[in-house]
Amino acid sequence: MIRLLKLEYLKNLNYRPFKIFSGLYFVVLIVLLFIGLVDFDILGMKINLKEQGMYNFPGVWNFTTYIVGLLKIFLGCIIVFSICQEFSNRMFKQNIIDGLSREEFVFSKLLTILAFTAFSTLLVFVIAFMLGKSYSVTQEGDLVTKEIYFIFNYFLKLFSFFSFLMFLSILFRKSIFVFLGFFMFWFVEKILIGIETFRVQQNITELEKAKVLSTTTFYTDYLPLESMSNLIPNPLIRTNMAQLLGMQFKFEYPWYSVIACIVWSTIFILGSYWILKKKDW
Amino acid sequence: MEKILEVKNLTKKFKHIAVNNISFDVEKGNVYGLLGPNGSGKSTTFGMLLSTINPTSGSWKWFGKEGTDTHTLKKIGAIIEQPNFYPYLSAEKNLEIVATIKEIPYSRIDEVLEVVNLLTRKKDAFKTYSLGMKQRLSIASALLADPEVLILDEPTNGLDPEGIIQIRDIINSIAKSGTTIIVASHLLDEIEKICSHVIVLKQGNAIYSGSVDAMSNTKGFFELKADNISELVSVLGSFGIFSSVKEQDNLIIAQISSDISASELNKKVFEKGISLSHLQKKKESLESQFLELVKQSNS
Repeated sequence: MIRLLKLEYLKNLNYRPFKIFSGLYFVVLIVLLFIGLVDFDILGMKINLKEQGMYNFPGVWNFTTYIVGLLKIFLGCIIVFSICQEFSNRMFKQNIIDGLSREEFVFSKLLTILAFTAFSTLLVFVIAFMLGKSYSVTQEGDLVTKEIYFIFNYFLKLFSFFSFLMFLSILFRKSIFVFLGFFMFWFVEKILIGIETFRVQQNITELEKAKVLSTTTFYTDYLPLESMSNLIPNPLIRTNMAQLLGMQFKFEYPWYSVIACIVWSTIFILGSYWILKKKDW
Repeated sequence: MEKILEVKNLTKKFKHIAVNNISFDVEKGNVYGLLGPNGSGKSTTFGMLLSTINPTSGSWKWFGKEGTDTHTLKKIGAIIEQPNFYPYLSAEKNLEIVATIKEIPYSRIDEVLEVVNLLTRKKDAFKTYSLGMKQRLSIASALLADPEVLILDEPTNGLDPEGIIQIRDIINSIAKSGTTIIVASHLLDEIEKICSHVIVLKQGNAIYSGSVDAMSNTKGFFELKADNISELVSVLGSFGIFSSVKEQDNLIIAQISSDISASELNKKVFEKGISLSHLQKKKESLESQFLELVKQSNS
């Protein structure tokens, strides 16, 4: 494992664009965490996320992980480029000939993904905790740790997202096709969700609708991108403003999405290996 | 003789048959040439033996062990098609990656760079190298683990004459050290200069496998010249030791059927009252033997 880490270190960290963009990612990530301290001027309305309760325990875990979760595509691009260049430079083939096994290749890429994911998670955890300690209106022990599971969900969300991108990178081997493929996948998922929602709502009255929608199990909830996104709900309705408007924040721990993400990650990792094994290089 | 590689009935089908049921053995310490025109299945064969291509059927043993595992690959030095390195990394960093994969100490890196005369450029990025330097770097990379077998696929492809000579010298000195070498090429004189054994491929079929000397059963031929050519032809015909005597470009070509040395022939001809202005005993070139083989396999 040390050997594979060293290999990834040699391949990536000697590559200047990789170093620069990874550094930028972490800078932007840290800056985004402090976004609540800035006043925004939207259509003449002054909005300050801190005053909307962004840094209040336990909501701080939800707010911070949701906001930095939007950044994952940035890191995703770096990972996609790093994997695709192995194929465009014919280095995967050369690595195999030099004596690297296909398992080791997939595992080494997973190690890079894990390193990025773990470091992002650690940063978010430490900084969110500090911000909560400094600005939260409540400091009760119970509330501080109540929703700390969002940190784990953030880790899982990033990990499964990057596993998905790794799979697409190995499948398409050219970054432009990976992005097109990703976009198509996302599009198809949204269409399927639309179709299922439409079918569930057929032949029911307006009154029943709310109840049916909240009790029906949506199969499309288990699609990869949807289950990743279900791990961390949009915290918009937790803002003080939304609460004033009478919106209720209801959230149950998304066990099914957690399991779906773990299953999908496993499929993506095994799928990557399978493609490397089956294809002639 | 210890067998390094035994290939049995190896076949690969893409949409067409790329390699058709070929078998051959590679013995330790010899230099083997894999000979054949472009598209005859040389690279596909290497690909299968190096585990990058899945075979359709057939089997092989490296060092007596079935198939190709990573442990075996670490003992093989291979150069395929074109030099493959991370373009943005220096030669040194690229070789560090290879050394990490092969689990060998970095101290070997300077040694192999010295062998291929690239030590002074080791800090420069691979993409700044000329084609000849790139090819030499891939030889350095192949030598890194002190391999028992060296596989070279078209090692002089696209090089200028000087580059070809450099590569050939390196290969020759490696061969002298006792390393087994398998080299694929469509350049016949290249194979002829360095190989002791050949495997001839044609459209995926192995049409010959054995030593270069045994490739054709002719004993060679004489080139002769004298002032009176027609007299010489009739004298040579009367000896009964030539299968054919032909005139070609002012030279007489006499195919040998029962062996005779040049000095003996010279003596015999002189006794008949003819003095030769030119006499040379020659072996068929690999090229003519190869063409002969291809012709035979066609019929």
